[in-house]
Formats: sequence, structure tokens, C-alpha cells
Amino acid sequence: MASLIGSAVRRKEDPRLLTGNGCFTDDIKLTGMVHAAFLRSPHAHARIIRVDTEKARSLPGVTAVFTGLDLAGKMKAVPAMWFLPGCDLKPKDRPALATDKVRYAGEAVAVVIAENRYVARDALDLIEVDYEVLPAVVSQELAMQDDAALLHDDVPNNLALLWKAGEIPDEVFADAEVVVKQRLYNQRVIPSPMETRGAVAQYNPGSGEMTLWCTSQNPHIHRLIYADVLGIPETKLRIIAPDVGGGFGAKIATYTEEAVVACIAREIQKPVKWVEERKEHFMATSHGRDEVLEVELAGTKDGRITALRVTNTANLGAYLSTFGAGCPTIDFGLMVTGAYAIPQAAVVTYGVYTNTTPTDAYRGAGKPEATYQIERAIDLFADKIGMDPVEVRRINLVPNDAFPYNSAMGVTYDSGDYQKALDKALEIFDYEAFREEQKEQRQKGKYLGVGFSTYVELCGFGPSAVAGAIGFQGGVWENSTVRVHPGGTVTVFTGTSPHGQGTATTFCQIVAEKLGVPLSDVELVSGDTQSVSMGWGTYGSRATAVGGAAVSLATDRVIEKARKIAAHELETTVDQIEFIAGQFTVKGDLSRSRTIQQIARSANYAWNLPEGVEPALEGQSFFDPSNFVYPFGTHICVVEVDEGTGEVEIKRYIAVDDVGRVINPLLAEGQVHGGIAQGVGQALWEGAVYTEQGQLQSGTFMDYTMPKARFFPPIESAFTETLSPVNPLGAKGIGETGTTAAPPAVVNAVMDALKPFGVAALDMPLTPEKVWRAIRSGRDKE
Amino acid sequence: MQLSYTHTFSLPREIVWKLIQNEDVLKTAIPGCKSFSRMDDGSYDVEMGLSVGPVKGVFTGQVQMTDQEEPSYYCLKVKGKGLPGEVDAVAHMHLDETENGAAVTCRMEVVVTGVLASVGQRVMGGVAKLVLGQFFKSADTEMRKLTSQV
Repeated sequence: MASLIGSAVRRKEDPRLLTGNGCFTDDIKLTGMVHAAFLRSPHAHARIIRVDTEKARSLPGVTAVFTGLDLAGKMKAVPAMWFLPGCDLKPKDRPALATDKVRYAGEAVAVVIAENRYVARDALDLIEVDYEVLPAVVSQELAMQDDAALLHDDVPNNLALLWKAGEIPDEVFADAEVVVKQRLYNQRVIPSPMETRGAVAQYNPGSGEMTLWCTSQNPHIHRLIYADVLGIPETKLRIIAPDVGGGFGAKIATYTEEAVVACIAREIQKPVKWVEERKEHFMATSHGRDEVLEVELAGTKDGRITALRVTNTANLGAYLSTFGAGCPTIDFGLMVTGAYAIPQAAVVTYGVYTNTTPTDAYRGAGKPEATYQIERAIDLFADKIGMDPVEVRRINLVPNDAFPYNSAMGVTYDSGDYQKALDKALEIFDYEAFREEQKEQRQKGKYLGVGFSTYVELCGFGPSAVAGAIGFQGGVWENSTVRVHPGGTVTVFTGTSPHGQGTATTFCQIVAEKLGVPLSDVELVSGDTQSVSMGWGTYGSRATAVGGAAVSLATDRVIEKARKIAAHELETTVDQIEFIAGQFTVKGDLSRSRTIQQIARSANYAWNLPEGVEPALEGQSFFDPSNFVYPFGTHICVVEVDEGTGEVEIKRYIAVDDVGRVINPLLAEGQVHGGIAQGVGQALWEGAVYTEQGQLQSGTFMDYTMPKARFFPPIESAFTETLSPVNPLGAKGIGETGTTAAPPAVVNAVMDALKPFGVAALDMPLTPEKVWRAIRSGRDKE
Repeated sequence: MQLSYTHTFSLPREIVWKLIQNEDVLKTAIPGCKSFSRMDDGSYDVEMGLSVGPVKGVFTGQVQMTDQEEPSYYCLKVKGKGLPGEVDAVAHMHLDETENGAAVTCRMEVVVTGVLASVGQRVMGGVAKLVLGQFFKSADTEMRKLTSQV
């Protein structure tokens, strides 16, 4: 029988989802349920003088209207959960509803509860708010200046944190043969999952129990934070993340709206539902990136990089979001040296409050920014010394015999074969032929370019002791229970709550393979704090590497127990039992055997168990990984730039990724495709645009360009498999490789294409207008 | 956002100067004008209903005319508030003589908030031009009416 692990089985989730039988938060309908709508500030920075809800309250169909003052004492402000030490962090919690001041356009100031969404929405128009408009500051660099508007009175220069890691004496750069300096802007992007946020809350006044269905990537984190915010013990607060339609990091954060909905359900003793409008999502759900990166790279004329120094000025938005302090520091800083053996490195990060939507993790969270600066710097370095960018990469890639590799930033890369992935990508690509074609085409006035990204990223956070050391207010281990029912079917419980990853397929594949049962006999339970004892959710590409590992270990415990029962029934010793493809057999005697299903029945009936063995067949594991995992690979992008319009066309995209053991190639490739689309989206089209007064101009899909399938050629995806020693599956993370690798590959390709025009640097997104202007100004110089 | 718009009247500049600041003309010419009343400080309280794409709703606000340099220039300040957001505009109105009349050029600096900013920005320019066009056209008609009566 072919192994299920590594097999491209179709998603177990799809028959349900594709036939419209999924259950998302908006599908939850409860008897007597009322609906919430939030009134949001039109100003980026203003004092609230007066909120008059009288007219809204008297609109027929309105149940209640709450302002920030109305909720005072009923719930707390919502805190962040990453308190990075050693950086003078000044955390600013999000108030339930703004009371004295609004700090970004879109911040909620009041909430209407009505019999339906339409009345609730209409009632918003009847609330009168008088604002005293204050000067706003949008750019993180301007916000640090002495004369800038202050968001929080006790945060001078709006500086929320100043983090430093490593130090390099100036002489290193002064004495270096070659120094490359570049300022890069990794622009703000808006996550935009298909499903916006939403929440349904039901309170039982008799028992004091609260159930909150919400669009969460990590229901146990929501329970942890909201238990304190709402003053409800974890025993009585049940968080359910039903089907969740994508998150990209934006559904990690514990926002205020979900907690407000729960608080009000308790106040009015009626179930309350809120579903975020798309327009709200643009302003009220966390944004990603927005980091100004100043990179300084020192090297030798023969292509060796000797030192790297990076300053990151990061825009945190108006308040400190859940993981907000970690993304531009730990997630970014630890990976600045990329896949290269750079002996010295140092990072400084300024985290700055501004009158914008708070920023938080966005698919890759810090690693895409780290990869962007190093992969761009490598190309600039190659240009400066007149060396091929592939050759510079080859010279500096961490060699195979260096693993586990201790980087200059103090982390240990688990395993890798970077040259192999590069070789495989080049083989698919045929580099020499391309350079020939590029030359020929240029003569015909066609501008082709190629960009490389030999990336590595850090994911599958662990161990928990490290999380503690970096101030993360939680653990990073994972939990699984594997329960074999009397009839032999299996329920698997996981604390990694998926939001579109196909975890129900991959995790069941692991269990079905190990237990030797049909895949259709295994089901996954996730996303419910009452069903799953504990867990930390799906983010940071941790589901398979940490959650999958827990599933694998829990399954081992089931087998271990079943083996004892089988030995007892077959009247032999445990070491005489072989377990292959769902059969326990006595060594050397194939006639004496039991199936796992037979053992499941006898374990659950418990009529005849060996001494010391408890009834039932169930295993649980709490897996805390010994290290992070470090997926890597080579992405190659080929573009053609239209000289007349500035439009960039992607001609080829080759991705060779090494994510350790691939559980399901079909799903892995899906992650690669989606990640690349999102990464290319940032490189070419996406970008949040604010006016100087803090008005979000890119507030609809008309103004914010999402990548579409027709913008892409077929992606040429391949894998190499270098197992991770960190977990029993040998798996690394795959969810964020595309958004990490793609932006520099694309930008490097466009820069390569624009070389004849003397264009050296452009900031993302490389829109036709920007490219066209660069071509034109390049020509003017000639 | 910056905007400019020019309308040519076939009336002498002195007449246009008088009439374009005339209450009756303004009341008639402001698109969707529901009320127009003079305040003690010389400014006007205006209520207007607009419905152009996403720019929809009733706006209430103040209009003030200052810095008059007869007959060639005045400054028009508009502050408006409506459900789709707030508008804060300063318009520089230049009146120039032409061959057979007067050209009024409006150079406007507009700041908007709310839905107007996040959703309407892309169409704002077009909407503003349309509104200005309607204003001048109606003003033109109204002025002709008034001058023919004289």
C-alpha cells in the first residue's frame, strides 16, 4: 500500500465547503438573536466632545446603543500579548470603544444593537458625534520628530519601542572593500481574506456561561485574553472558531469588537451577532508590514559578505496589537542575514505609534521584510562588484556542513541544503539560455528581467522557554488527542485551529497512515475550546511542524497501548508484536493477529485488559518543539516590462521550496501558489494609501488591487526534501514561503529589466505608473 | 485634492461679480439646496442634498465669502458635514474679462473625511466637477433671468 503521508489526496473539507454546507460565523443563527453595527470615527485623530445617541435609540427596531462610557466598568481594554523585554516597550491597549479620543480613522466610538443588520446600520446615521479634530501623523518617520502630534500623552515621540540586537563597530564598514547602502520601504498591505471578521455571542444568565463564535485563528488565545477582558473564567468562556474563511494573520489578533459583542450579549441577555462589512475590514482589521528598512551591507570585491546592519522603522499604528511588538523585532531581526553565512550582523528597530490602523502579523510577519532587504541588498552588492547575482548567492549561502548553523543573529538554523534547491531551480529555468534571450530581446526593444530569491525563513516557533524569553505571553507548544472509538473509527483533536489550510486532510492523513485505517475513518475536531483542551492556533507556519507533530506523537501513544492489549489477547509479550498496516501480528506467526479495529473494540469494552492497562483507546500528546524550523528554497521570477506603459508581466515563476517532509503535495502546492500570488501582489499591486490627514484612500477593492489568477503564468513548483530534526515528522512550515520569497524575486526581476534605463531602486508596489516614470526619468538622464 | 473649473458667462464682469454673490442666485444655483440662510456674521448656513455615486446624503454646512477684491477676486470657504463624511474646502474665485463676457475660474483645495475619503476619492474629482458644472450652469440661467427682468 502506498504511503498516505506524501500522497496528494483531495481535501476532506471540500465536499462540505464546495456544496455550500460549510458553517462560518455568519451562518450561526440563534433564536432571539439581535445584530450589532459599529459607528466608526471619520477622523484619524480627534477629541470626542459629545456623543448623542438619543435619535438612534428611538429608531424602531433598535434594542440598545452603547458608547464607550456606557461600557465603562463592564469590560476592560484589550491588551496585546507580546511584551518584548529590553526595548522600553510602551504598550497601549485598545479601548472597548473610544471615549476621550480617536486615534485612527475607523476606530469604533459607538455600537448599535437592533433587530436586524439593516436597522442597526440605519441607526448609525442617527448618532451625532462632535469631534475636535487634532493634527494627525501617518508616517512613522514623521511621527518620531519632536513637533509631531502625540497619540498617547505618555509616549514621547510616539516611540513605542526601541529594540537593538547585535553591534558592529563603524570601522567594519569604514574599512570594508565594498559597502552597499539602500533605503527600502516595505509598504503597508491590507490582509483581505475572503471572509471578513465576525462574532456571535450567547450568554446564559443562569449559569454565567458565555459562548462566543468568532473568526479566530487561535480560539484558545481569544479565550485567554477575553476571559480577563470580560471577567469570565476560562471554565465558563467557550470560544468556537467554526469554518474560517482565511486570515493571513489578521485573525490572530484579539480585537475589541468581538469582546464588545460578548459584553453586550451579557448586558442585554440576548444573543448578539456582528459581521464586519468589507469597508470596515479595510479600516478596522489589522494591516501588515509598513516598515522602512535601511540596510548597509559590507563585503569584499570577490563577493563575500562580511557584515550587515539594518535599521527598521516600523509603523505600529495607533495601538499595540496582539503580536504587534514581535513582528518588526524578533520575527524580522532574527532573520536579517537570510540564507547567508554573514559573520557579523546588527539590527535596530524603532516601533512607532501613528494615526493609522494598528499593524500586526501578516502572512510571514517580519520574515518577508527581512528577506526583502537581504535579497535586494545582495543584488545591489552583485551590481556594485560586477558579479552575477547567482554567483554572489552561491559564494555566501550557508554550506551544508554548517548545519545546525548558528547565525550571527543568535538563532540556529535546523537543517538545510541551500545549493541543492538553487541547482534544481536553475535546472528548471535554464539560466544561460535566458541571458542570451534577454540580450536578443533588448535589441528588439523588449525588456526582460530575472530576479532570484534564495530565501530561508523561521517558523514553527518553539520551544516555549524561548517564547517566554522574548516576552510572548503564552506557550508555543501544541496539543493533540487521538481517540479510537469502539467501532474503530478515529477522532483527532488539535489545538491548531485551521482557517483554510486543509488541516483536516493532512492531520487525518498522518493518523490514517500510522494506524493503518482508511482515511475516511478519521475525522478532525478543532476550533472549539470546549472540545480541545488547549492549543495555540494556526499562524507562523506552525500547524504541521508543531500541531502535526503532536498528532503524530498522540497516535504513537494509541499504538503503544493497543500493542499491549494485542499482546495480551494473543498471549505473547509486547516485544513479540509487530504492527504493520493496521494489523498487530505475532512475529513469525501470521495466523495470530488482531486488527486495530478489533483492539479498539476490546479496549473500549474492557472485558479483558492486561493488568495495569486502563480502558478505552486514546492517546494525548503535548509537544513542545526543541527549536524553530527553517524552510528555504529558491524562487526565480522572469518579467517583461513594457517600455511604453510601464506594465510588468510575469513571464515565468519558478519555485523550488524545501519544507522538510511534505505530507500532501497537492495542499503544499496550493500553499505555494497562494503564497506567491500574495507575495507578487505586494511586489506589484497592493498597498495601503493614507492622506496626510490619516484618511485611508485605498479603502475598497476598487482602490486596492488584489492579485488575480489571470495575472499569473502557471507557477512551476517543485520541492526538495531536507528533513527537520526538530519534530518527529521532519516537517517544516509552508504557509509563508511564498509571501517571503516572492517580493524580492519580483522586484529584483523588474530592476534587472530596467537596467538599460539606469534605474537602481524603486519601492513596492511596482505599479505601471511608477515603472513608467522611472523609465522616463532614466531616459531623461541619457 | 485640488480642483479647478472655469465657466464663461456672456455677461459683463461687473454684473457677474454682483450676481454670483447674490443670495437668490446662490440659493437657486447650489445643487440640491434645501435651505440657505444668512447668519449674523455674514456667512451662510446651507443644507444641500447630493446624490452622485457614493457621494450621497444631506450635507449641512457654512459658506463664507471673504477677501473680496472687486471685481476680480474673492475667496469662498465651505465647511460641510454629512453622513458620507466631512468636507472642508477653500475656493479661490477669479473673475476675468473675456471678449464677450466674463470667465469665472474656481481653484479649489478640498479635504474630505469618512466614506468620502475611503470610497469616494476615486470619483470625487468627477463628482466635484459635475457639481460645479451644475452650479455655474444654474447660476448662468438665474443671472440671465435677473438681468433680462431689469
